[in-house]
Amino acid sequence: MHRRLVVLGFYGSVLDGGASDKRWDKWRPTVALCQHEDLVVHRLELLHTRTALKGVQQLVRDIALVSPETQVRPHCVNLADAWDFEEVFAALHEFARGYRFVPERERYLIHITTGSHVMQICWFLLTESRHFPGQLLQTSPPKRKDGDVAGDYRIIDLDLSKYDRLARRFDEERAEGISFLKSGIATRNAAFNELIDRVELVALRSREPVLLTGPPGAGKSHLARQIYELKKARGLVDGPFVGVNCATLRGDGAMSALFGHVRGAFTGAAKDRKGLLRSADRGLLFLDEIGELGLEEQAMLLGCLETKRFLPVGTDTEVTSDFQLIAGTNRDLSAAVRAGRFREDLLARINLWTFALPALRDRPEDIEPNLTYELERASRRLGRQVTFNAEARELFLAFATSPGASWPGNFRDFGAAVLRMATLSAGGRIDEDTVAAEVRRLRASWSDAPDGSAQPDDGDEPDDGDAPDGSARPDDGDELLQADVPFDVGELDLFDRVQLREVIRICRSSRSLSEAGRTLFAVSRTKKTSVNDADRLKKYLARFGLSWAELTGAR
Amino acid sequence: MQKLVIDGSQGEGGGQILRSSLTLAAITQTPLELVNIRARRSKPGLLRQHLTAVRAAAAVCGATVEGAELGSRALSFQPGPVRGGYHAVAVGSAGSTTLVCQTVLPILVAARQAAELEFSGGTHNPLAPPYDFLEHVYFPLLRRMGVELRSELLTAGFHPAGGGRFRVSLGACGELRPLELLEAEVAPPVRAWTLSSRVPVHVAERELGVVREGLGLTQEQTERIDVDSPGPGNALCVRIGAELPELVTAFGEKGRRAEEVAGDAVRRARAFLEARVPVGEHLADQLIVMMALAGGAFRTGPLSSHTRTNVDVVRAWLGDDVVEVREEPTRALLRFTPRRGRAPRVEAEAASTGEA
Repeated sequence: MHRRLVVLGFYGSVLDGGASDKRWDKWRPTVALCQHEDLVVHRLELLHTRTALKGVQQLVRDIALVSPETQVRPHCVNLADAWDFEEVFAALHEFARGYRFVPERERYLIHITTGSHVMQICWFLLTESRHFPGQLLQTSPPKRKDGDVAGDYRIIDLDLSKYDRLARRFDEERAEGISFLKSGIATRNAAFNELIDRVELVALRSREPVLLTGPPGAGKSHLARQIYELKKARGLVDGPFVGVNCATLRGDGAMSALFGHVRGAFTGAAKDRKGLLRSADRGLLFLDEIGELGLEEQAMLLGCLETKRFLPVGTDTEVTSDFQLIAGTNRDLSAAVRAGRFREDLLARINLWTFALPALRDRPEDIEPNLTYELERASRRLGRQVTFNAEARELFLAFATSPGASWPGNFRDFGAAVLRMATLSAGGRIDEDTVAAEVRRLRASWSDAPDGSAQPDDGDEPDDGDAPDGSARPDDGDELLQADVPFDVGELDLFDRVQLREVIRICRSSRSLSEAGRTLFAVSRTKKTSVNDADRLKKYLARFGLSWAELTGAR
Repeated sequence: MQKLVIDGSQGEGGGQILRSSLTLAAITQTPLELVNIRARRSKPGLLRQHLTAVRAAAAVCGATVEGAELGSRALSFQPGPVRGGYHAVAVGSAGSTTLVCQTVLPILVAARQAAELEFSGGTHNPLAPPYDFLEHVYFPLLRRMGVELRSELLTAGFHPAGGGRFRVSLGACGELRPLELLEAEVAPPVRAWTLSSRVPVHVAERELGVVREGLGLTQEQTERIDVDSPGPGNALCVRIGAELPELVTAFGEKGRRAEEVAGDAVRRARAFLEARVPVGEHLADQLIVMMALAGGAFRTGPLSSHTRTNVDVVRAWLGDDVVEVREEPTRALLRFTPRRGRAPRVEAEAASTGEA
């Protein structure tokens, strides 16, 4: 069933008026919209003021002549001043609320060509807000003198997604924003990309608190900063970015650091202090490690989030600050609530938009794009261009994405590793030896770290006593292997341990790297026209932080 | 019943294809499937004036219609029994009552039904034959075919206000008589008149002055007719011939001088006189469907693509041999052999079969 067309519009006393025969010579928008060959108005809701009554009656008669299909319903609206925004808006708003729209059977067009400009603005606002569930209709006089009396009409759909060019423009703008949040790194991890897509939407649409969770170094403070910069670029904040790690706010100073104090509030308060919350007015406050905040500060913060007002230390005068809060944590705040260390109501308040940033080891496909980014960053810091040679880059990536690389410090570790290699590189070129040394270093530091292992919080896992997978635990052969490698062999799968042991044995019984390679890859080399067995072996060893010289030199 | 699929994008004049097809669908009682309606136009699909024709035809033959919507590219029209009696058709000012009249009249004639038809809307519109054309040219020929018909203009309706009205009374007619319209009248008498509403008197007087001079007419052969129409308007009609007249019409409009309007009418009247054909281009278009029912022949000028399209449509409905076209150097002869068959079902008939 085709929907009937209903047009709503004002009687335009100037354009629609005229009682003499001459009125047929001029273009009258409301009459003309009933004269189109490809538009049939089934019903016209004609709003008018009391003074226009005579003109409206004439218009109704004329439309009956030119368009027998159209039913005209005049509505008298009380308006003292058609140019008074408040009055016109209220009148139209009331009309919209009292009108029975039946969109499944009728289609609505809002004719905006007639009436005052203020009426146009009000029609637009109320259509945009869907109080009038229709599209805008704009009419214009005939351009040519060929007997055309209807002129032209255009339907303006305010649903912007229906315009290809606009939709493309919005897509580009979104892509820009998303790329900005990712610092221009072309990340490939689907889960991470999806997360950033959502962060972009929330960042541009909401001023409510955001909670970023994730392990240390996963990029929480970096992301908070990028969110701020994006909002600023789009004109959504005009105050500053204020960031602080709550772990540094323990003790007596915490209150005054956050909320400020007045001179003489306590011993040593020699001057007024504004406090971080007030500094972040009209801007963005990033509280990292929010789980470290004391209970008293939590209560004050909650009050401030709800009222935008708080009392600086030592005063009875409230101050205001309107900021958006981004909180970061690597703790399980629900557990902190259960343990009584974190306020449940504050958690509820900041838990509206929660984004869990994944650990680097869960994003192996993003290591390569991040390597490029970190290398550029290191180059800027060192003031010289640093690059990898091709083999070295491959070696490092092979290690960085291997299961043994746990990256407990995430991007902090990763960035530091790249910076170290860049610093040690000779002539701005990172070679295989530099990489191998760095890999050994990383393995050593990870196996030393108390909780920085590839399997964190092992203790939380249910322990099933006499493990059937006892074979995965180190055996005698592993003790020998342990002497050769610079890390804890317990971190390796049995599969890798067995393989590595045999590879080391072959290396030690060979005279050169090439000979060892030929022995190890004897079968596959017969199937290929040319193969660099030595290179293949070298890369394999590098994954474990080992080098030929070291293995054989130790003999 | 096997339906007939007509391609609405062929040739010219999507509107003429539609109207002729509606008429012939009702007469042959064959369902019509019109596709690709006005496919290559800037505003494709059905326009408002087409919908009016569809609705009027549907009312006269109780048709079931699908796709009768603005912009629709396909229309299905399943005719039912023809209903005589009173029918009122209201057309907006942009459409033409005369074209709608020519769509429904042949249906009632073929079904031999008496009817009272009342049309309201535009009667004098530059884009369609005016009511005067029906009264002076088309209806007289129908009477010569044996159609019993009276008509009366109650109010003229000019573009753009419209608001005109005319009535047609149709008697139940018998077998139609074939018509032979082969030679132009020798020294045809010429008459001219204006039809004006709400425009200054001098406009019509100046127009008639130009016509008297241009066509060598006396004061008695011209007439100024003042009518009262809801809107302003001015039409100048020149009738050429008595037995088999042609009517040339020009319309006054804002910004166009009366002398210009009349000069245009004089030029076209002279062109028709010089062509020495009995049937002019517009009449040829209108006659094809009726001649296909009555039989006979007529001679006209070189065929316009519009007329060719109309011939194609009639052949599609009634068979290729219903019309034979013989093109002569500067003229064309169309000879019609009507398909004698059952007249369309009428409402009473359907009712009696329903009872059986």
